[in-house]
Amino acid sequence: MTEQQTQSAWQHLLDVRNLETQFHTEDGVVHAVNRISYTMNEGDTLGVVGESGCGKSVHALSIMRLIPNPPGKITGGEVFFRGKDLLQLTDDEMRRVRGAEIAMIFQDPMTSLNPVLTVGFQIMEALKLHQGMDEKVARARAEELLVLVGIPEARQRLDDYPHQFSGGMRQRAMIAMGLSCNPGLLIADEPTTALDVTIQAQIVDLVKRLQEKIGMAVIWITHDLGVVAGMARRVNVMYAGSIIESGPVKEIYANPHHPYTVGLLGSLPGARRDRTKRLYSIKGEPPDLVGELKGCPFAPRCAFRVERCAFEAPVLEEIDSQHIAACWEKANVRRVQ
Amino acid sequence: MINYIIRRLIAVPLLLIGVTILIFLMLMALTPVERTALYVRDVPRNDRVLEGIIKKYGLDDPWYKQYWRWLFGTTITTTEDGVTTVENIGGILRGDFGYSRTASQPVGELLARRFPASLELALYAVIPVIAGGIFLGVVGAVKHNKPLDHIVRIFGIVGWSFPDFVFGLLLLMAFYAGTGWFPPGRISDWANQIVTSPAFHNYTKLISIDALLNLRFDIFFDSLRHMVLPVISLAYLWWALTLRVTRSSMLETLRQDYITTARAKGLAERTVINKHALPNALMPVVTLGGNTVVGLLSGVVIIETVFNYPGMGAAAARAASQLDVITVLSFVLFNGLILVLANVVVDILYAYIDPRVRLD
Repeated sequence: MTEQQTQSAWQHLLDVRNLETQFHTEDGVVHAVNRISYTMNEGDTLGVVGESGCGKSVHALSIMRLIPNPPGKITGGEVFFRGKDLLQLTDDEMRRVRGAEIAMIFQDPMTSLNPVLTVGFQIMEALKLHQGMDEKVARARAEELLVLVGIPEARQRLDDYPHQFSGGMRQRAMIAMGLSCNPGLLIADEPTTALDVTIQAQIVDLVKRLQEKIGMAVIWITHDLGVVAGMARRVNVMYAGSIIESGPVKEIYANPHHPYTVGLLGSLPGARRDRTKRLYSIKGEPPDLVGELKGCPFAPRCAFRVERCAFEAPVLEEIDSQHIAACWEKANVRRVQ
Repeated sequence: MINYIIRRLIAVPLLLIGVTILIFLMLMALTPVERTALYVRDVPRNDRVLEGIIKKYGLDDPWYKQYWRWLFGTTITTTEDGVTTVENIGGILRGDFGYSRTASQPVGELLARRFPASLELALYAVIPVIAGGIFLGVVGAVKHNKPLDHIVRIFGIVGWSFPDFVFGLLLLMAFYAGTGWFPPGRISDWANQIVTSPAFHNYTKLISIDALLNLRFDIFFDSLRHMVLPVISLAYLWWALTLRVTRSSMLETLRQDYITTARAKGLAERTVINKHALPNALMPVVTLGGNTVVGLLSGVVIIETVFNYPGMGAAAARAASQLDVITVLSFVLFNGLILVLANVVVDILYAYIDPRVRLD
């Protein structure tokens, strides 16, 4: 590796290059993540949006190397985190990254905490493992963390079991768990989807506040464009396992250049929407990811479709220095009001 | 937790009363003549004497009076030819279950003599069931669809689908009739002479353990040699069931979100399995544990008969084949007691593992 390459690897906190993940099922090979690339800097917030099954979560689990194998396998690419390729680490080295340098919180706080272990134990585990704290120190730190995420009577609640916590509190406890070792990157996989709206807002605010305090980067995976708008600086829009548009949040909202992004924005309920009309929805279903896709994966559902879409897949091309989109007709795509 | 245990323990006497009432109602379905075996060794042929006995022990009283006497016993004072005899008789709570026609001795003595033999068998059977079944079930789940998993599964399916008596007979054919390695019975004749001699101390009545305590290793190995086949055939089914339940429950648990959470924390796979997955996966296994106790109790009836092993199962089978109802129902009662206690243990274990049970 030359001097320059080392330098470029270090420029970014996270540098994902051509990441590809597949699942081997009885029906064939599912191409869950197809050669996606992006970079993130320290302290950045990246939103990843897309429908269910578009590869958002699988890409996150691939970064963590938590894809269940079999059936899943990361089949290609590199994931540089602070200059080291996570995909080349040994299992032991990867374990030292997980929870310590990259933490992850999940969609359903009701099922992502172990029901037979106390909340305190589950928070203290990572502290003892990665920071070598003894029981007493870890307990004090766990209490601090619960206070930090806004759980009242933290000391007593450490000895509670998850079923004694409400959904919002469990997600707070999950966040406390994720933050325990001051990670450089927090991956939040739809952390608000299972919560009701007022709690959602609280959790979003909490993560924003903690991010400012700790200075970590956040990947916020969601299908809710509204949440991303208030949260992220950049957005990756994913469809059928690929990033189909990427750019600054404001730019994507004001000036989408992929028909799918346009569709997503069009299906947002807004305050100024004409209430006599039905809420817009993108027609059709996302494609089956078994086997190789020919042409643009979005073509069958696309209003801007042209002939070449059916047999030639568009590549990501610059719209300006910040904004990229993968569409043959990107010059003609406009946000519909 | 303590509250929970107390609540469970309070239920025990109530359950036991229920069990005794049920069994006594079965006794009441017999004729008073048959019930005389509760109190006298031989049923007299003479009608008048028989009538006297029925009167004397109140065998045609209302059921609750008889039930009371059956539970607590009775004191009967008779004056015959100027001699007054006071007779304390009956009462299962005093250990008097009546007389076993087939064993020609009081049922209480029969139980006391036969139970340790069956217990010894069951204890040795429980070890492979719990240790082997749970351990291999976990291994199978962790090595899902790898060769080791397939081997474990094949053994499991064979054990699960093979009737234990057929399996026992096949073992006898191969290892006794064929090779002569493992004889039936509980102990060889030469060893029996030593065991019954006054020099040999029966501390626990479990021959293998007593032999160790008496430092008679030859007798220890002799008794083990006799137990190998019955223990294998008794344990195999339950071992296989435990394995299957552990394996599928573990597979299910390993798919749970909190396992991903644990891995995302950077925990070693060993910690993830033992600390995070196993306690959750064990819940159905603990439930099965209660059934295993029941299964072993009924299993000994057949296995002991097949291997000519002098335990209480063999005695029960013999009594049943000769319609010795008093003996059979005493065994049922005894099994009921064990079952109730086993269920309490299961409930407490359950609460120990799962905080959601203990706190409601």
